Amino acid sequence: MNDIAPYIFLGALLFAIGLVGFLSRRNLIVIFLSTELMFQGVVVNLVAMGRLHGHVDGQIFALFLLVIAAVEAGLALGLVVLLYRRKGTLDAESWSSMWG
Amino acid sequence: MTDWLAILIYGTFVVGGLGLYFLLPTTGRSTKMAGALFGMAALAGAMVLCGGRFLAASGVNAVFFLFASVAIVAAVLMVTSEKPVYSALYFVLVVLAVTPLLLLQQAEFLAIALVIVYAGAILVTYVFVIMLSQQSGPSIYDRRSRSPLLAVFAGFVSMAVVAGQMAVLPQDWAIRGTLVSANSAVAVTGVGVGNIELVGRVMMGKYVVALEIAGLLLLVAMIGAIAVSRKRVPADGPGLEGLPLGQSGREAPPF
Repeated sequence: MNDIAPYIFLGALLFAIGLVGFLSRRNLIVIFLSTELMFQGVVVNLVAMGRLHGHVDGQIFALFLLVIAAVEAGLALGLVVLLYRRKGTLDAESWSSMWG
Repeated sequence: MTDWLAILIYGTFVVGGLGLYFLLPTTGRSTKMAGALFGMAALAGAMVLCGGRFLAASGVNAVFFLFASVAIVAAVLMVTSEKPVYSALYFVLVVLAVTPLLLLQQAEFLAIALVIVYAGAILVTYVFVIMLSQQSGPSIYDRRSRSPLLAVFAGFVSMAVVAGQMAVLPQDWAIRGTLVSANSAVAVTGVGVGNIELVGRVMMGKYVVALEIAGLLLLVAMIGAIAVSRKRVPADGPGLEGLPLGQSGREAPPF
């Protein structure tokens, strides 16, 4: 295999599917899972780009992205548990009280 | 870019977007079957696209096609599943399908780290939170999407722009040899340095400050998560029962 275009294609597709899930789902946990899916797309993209340039910097960026994903999962899920304790529901639209 | 190629590319994205739109949960009549048909057509179109333009037929490419298809199908099922537990498990499948693709790209350490951290640690956290906060059975907000047509439009139009640019890439945009460190500050000694050693050397050399910052960020996130999830205990005195959940009682430290 001497072409990274399919990998970038796949990464962009995973990102797009994650974006659709992030925008259209209403469960807070599924929304955050969709951001993790977008992270997967970015990981595929970074590794392919690093391969294109012939060094491992892309893989190291992906490792740092893993750190960010872990941080995000920990903090966001703590927030989700907090919000669930306040309202007893995971619906994201139950928090749109300023919308009218 | 020839005309048929443009038609194939954008047609694939229109069909794929329609498939995802039909698969998203709705309250009315179930459109999952139409969504599955459209999705399969889009997947076949993407395979023709990649096979015709980018990839020659070989065993390695067969592995790529297999795992990329599994990853995309699992991602779609994750986004469209009505039960959050299934979403989490389909996400594990996405991670496990992406891992062989990273192995094909000579990213062995990252593949192992992805399985351990994502499928092992992060997903366990998610499943724990789902178990803690999910009522029994799918709830009403899991069975209705929020403006699915606009969401699919946003996602797939941006994606189609990217793919349209991918199709007109120059032919010499290919991999130059095997992985070596292009960074002269890292003294890679000896021949046959493995991927793990290479990643370790670059990370401890060029990116050591970023590594320290990442550790600090993890520490801050841990403290923040503990501070955020302080829990309220019931009040002792009377008169506080009328307040809504989360505002009555006093705050207790989580430890």
